[in-house]
Amino acid sequence: MTLFDGETGKTYIVENTDGLETGIGRRLEALGLTGKTPLRLLNRKKNGAVIFTVRGTRLAVGRLIAEKIEVAEAGNI
Amino acid sequence: MSKEELKIGFIGNPNCGKTTLFNAYTGANLKVANWPGVTVEKKEGAMKYHNHVFKLVDLPGLYSLTSYTMEETVSRNFIMSDDVDVIIDVADASALERNLYLTLQLIELGKPVVLALNMMDIVEKRGLEIDMHRLPEMLGIPVIPVSARKKKGLDILMHAASHHMEQSSPDRIIHQHGENTSKSRHKHDHHKEYTMVYSDEIEDKIDMITEVLEKKYPEIKNFRWHAIKLMEMDPEIMEKYPVDLPHVIMRSYEKDIIKQKYDFIEEIIEEVVVNKKKQENRTEKADRILTGRYTGIPIFFGIMALVFFLTFTVGEWLKGYFEIGLDWFSGFFENLLVSMNTNEILVSLIIDGIISGVGGILTFLPNIFILFLALAFLEDSGYMARVAYVMDGIMGKLGLSGKAFIPMILGFGCTVPAIMASRALEDKRDRMRVIMITPFMSCSARLPVYVLFSQIFFGDKAMLAAYSMYILGILVAIASALVMKLFQKKKSVNPLLIELPDYKSPSAYTIAIYVWEKIKDYITKAGTTIFLASIVMWALLNFGPSGLTENMGESFGAIVGKALVPVFKPVGLGYWQIIVALISGIAAKEVVVSSCSVLFGVGNVTSDVGMESMLSILTGMGFGAVNAYSLMVFCLLYIPCAATIGTIKRETGSVKKTLGAIAFQLLVAWTASLIIYNIGRLL
Repeated sequence: MTLFDGETGKTYIVENTDGLETGIGRRLEALGLTGKTPLRLLNRKKNGAVIFTVRGTRLAVGRLIAEKIEVAEAGNI
Repeated sequence: MSKEELKIGFIGNPNCGKTTLFNAYTGANLKVANWPGVTVEKKEGAMKYHNHVFKLVDLPGLYSLTSYTMEETVSRNFIMSDDVDVIIDVADASALERNLYLTLQLIELGKPVVLALNMMDIVEKRGLEIDMHRLPEMLGIPVIPVSARKKKGLDILMHAASHHMEQSSPDRIIHQHGENTSKSRHKHDHHKEYTMVYSDEIEDKIDMITEVLEKKYPEIKNFRWHAIKLMEMDPEIMEKYPVDLPHVIMRSYEKDIIKQKYDFIEEIIEEVVVNKKKQENRTEKADRILTGRYTGIPIFFGIMALVFFLTFTVGEWLKGYFEIGLDWFSGFFENLLVSMNTNEILVSLIIDGIISGVGGILTFLPNIFILFLALAFLEDSGYMARVAYVMDGIMGKLGLSGKAFIPMILGFGCTVPAIMASRALEDKRDRMRVIMITPFMSCSARLPVYVLFSQIFFGDKAMLAAYSMYILGILVAIASALVMKLFQKKKSVNPLLIELPDYKSPSAYTIAIYVWEKIKDYITKAGTTIFLASIVMWALLNFGPSGLTENMGESFGAIVGKALVPVFKPVGLGYWQIIVALISGIAAKEVVVSSCSVLFGVGNVTSDVGMESMLSILTGMGFGAVNAYSLMVFCLLYIPCAATIGTIKRETGSVKKTLGAIAFQLLVAWTASLIIYNIGRLL
């Protein structure tokens, strides 16, 4: 699944971000969104933009990014 | 300290309180300019520390030091240059994990780095503690806790910076990695030398590249850093120092390098952050409503309505007092001049030209003060970033990301910084579009025009008439963006990516500096541009081909204005005085108001008496409410002021695009006024 399909309030583990355009992918990694990192989905909009926290940083990303962040469910850590 | 003058670079993530800290040292006296050749802002200030002069440079807020953006490249090159002696890395202690990523990159650059841990109070409030002994041990650099807002730890930080610069090698690095480092088959024990040590695979490659670099480019100061950058396939370094090692650099190792840095940061966090007890995050609670699916947009519009309501009502109330003061001053000065038997022309120039022109503009100071106060509040509280998320849906329909909305809001204050704020957009074409539409967002300089004409013609509906200008401006901006989207070849939208910082109660000091800067600009503008424009206007209107003229209708100004009457007639503005006022408004839009007072010979035009005489003069000319509304629309949309034109030129770097923007705006203004005037006449 991708972050776009995620449910608000749940924690996920980042699986793969290779689908992202290189520039955006590296920027997200520099912000801490590296493989196997847990992230928590806080909010989502109808148009697909989401808010999540990763390593204590809160990020808002548009649908085109959310769709390309592959995640796996992690339960509530 | 060996040097009398020390140059210190301030660097840190966005929202880490870096600017607050920088301001705490330098106060409001800083120089803001651009880095040579690029549109990246550069702030410089100076301070005295004991007997030494410290030059402080505030670098743009950054998350990393790659070369994906102009900001990153500029900052990196500056830090690497000999210009900077010490780097102060400001980190938000409450988001230490992410902030340390930049720290590790800075340490790798090999310059003396001091880590300033800001926002320690928030860390304490959250029930966390940071081990201040262990952290410097693991990083090998001094770590100083500071509070930029409470001005704590400032001296200690400078002390550390001035001492640390003499040591180029790290203090001591004591850390154990999870994996057994003794088993490493690596020939050096890098853990004694470097803070950040990578896996054997990467370290081997670094060594091999370093060897080549040492032979080929002996002038390089930091071989290790360059080797790492080559492994990341950093375009800038690859071009500068090409090496031919296809069997070593088989691909970009950037992903691995980032990952391993974060792995090390995880180790650090595990060791130095203690007593992690979970606390309900207030920001998350607030965000559930402020960025909520159904609540976000209504709240945003509510906030903006409140901002303008305050600007008009409270501002208007304060403005009344300013006018009384101006009236008194003008009368006093005229009596004084007359009693001194001053030349009549000179009295006319001073009273009708300068005082009524410049003074009329200064009476709007309260409105502008409140508007900027509100904008400063929105920015400093952390709400502005949310606006990008909230508006992402609507902006997406225009083919822009929500981030593009931030410059547009700032445009309500002043178009110049708003256009500069478009730098935050990654894509060049997106930037160009935002630059084109931002001038339609009604800036504070246009406010005097609305306030004056709506009060003269619309009585109790004055506020509504003025409000409608803001709405119209937004609508025109949206429509223009849509039209531009149609003409765009590349249809894909650049997605939103923005950090949402914790909400905080805004710092009074930061807001005071922000508002003061704007107010200072406004007063300076009144004293320079508007002052000169008033004199020029007065001269153009009092002199004609036959020299000094009693009849303004024969002046040079009138001749130009009359020539353009046919163009402006269809939009209800076919009066030479109005045309002259509009032309003068290109200097600065407030000048339309000051020019009117000169043109119609009404002193203190914003007072009740002044407005009544304006009303009778204008009505006598056949200029009614519909014409006034058309004038307001035209002022909203036509050529932005000279300062904005200059900014567009600088930001786009193209005369053609700048002229295009001017032509576009004139066309839009004329068309919109035409439509509105003709509809208005039918009603």
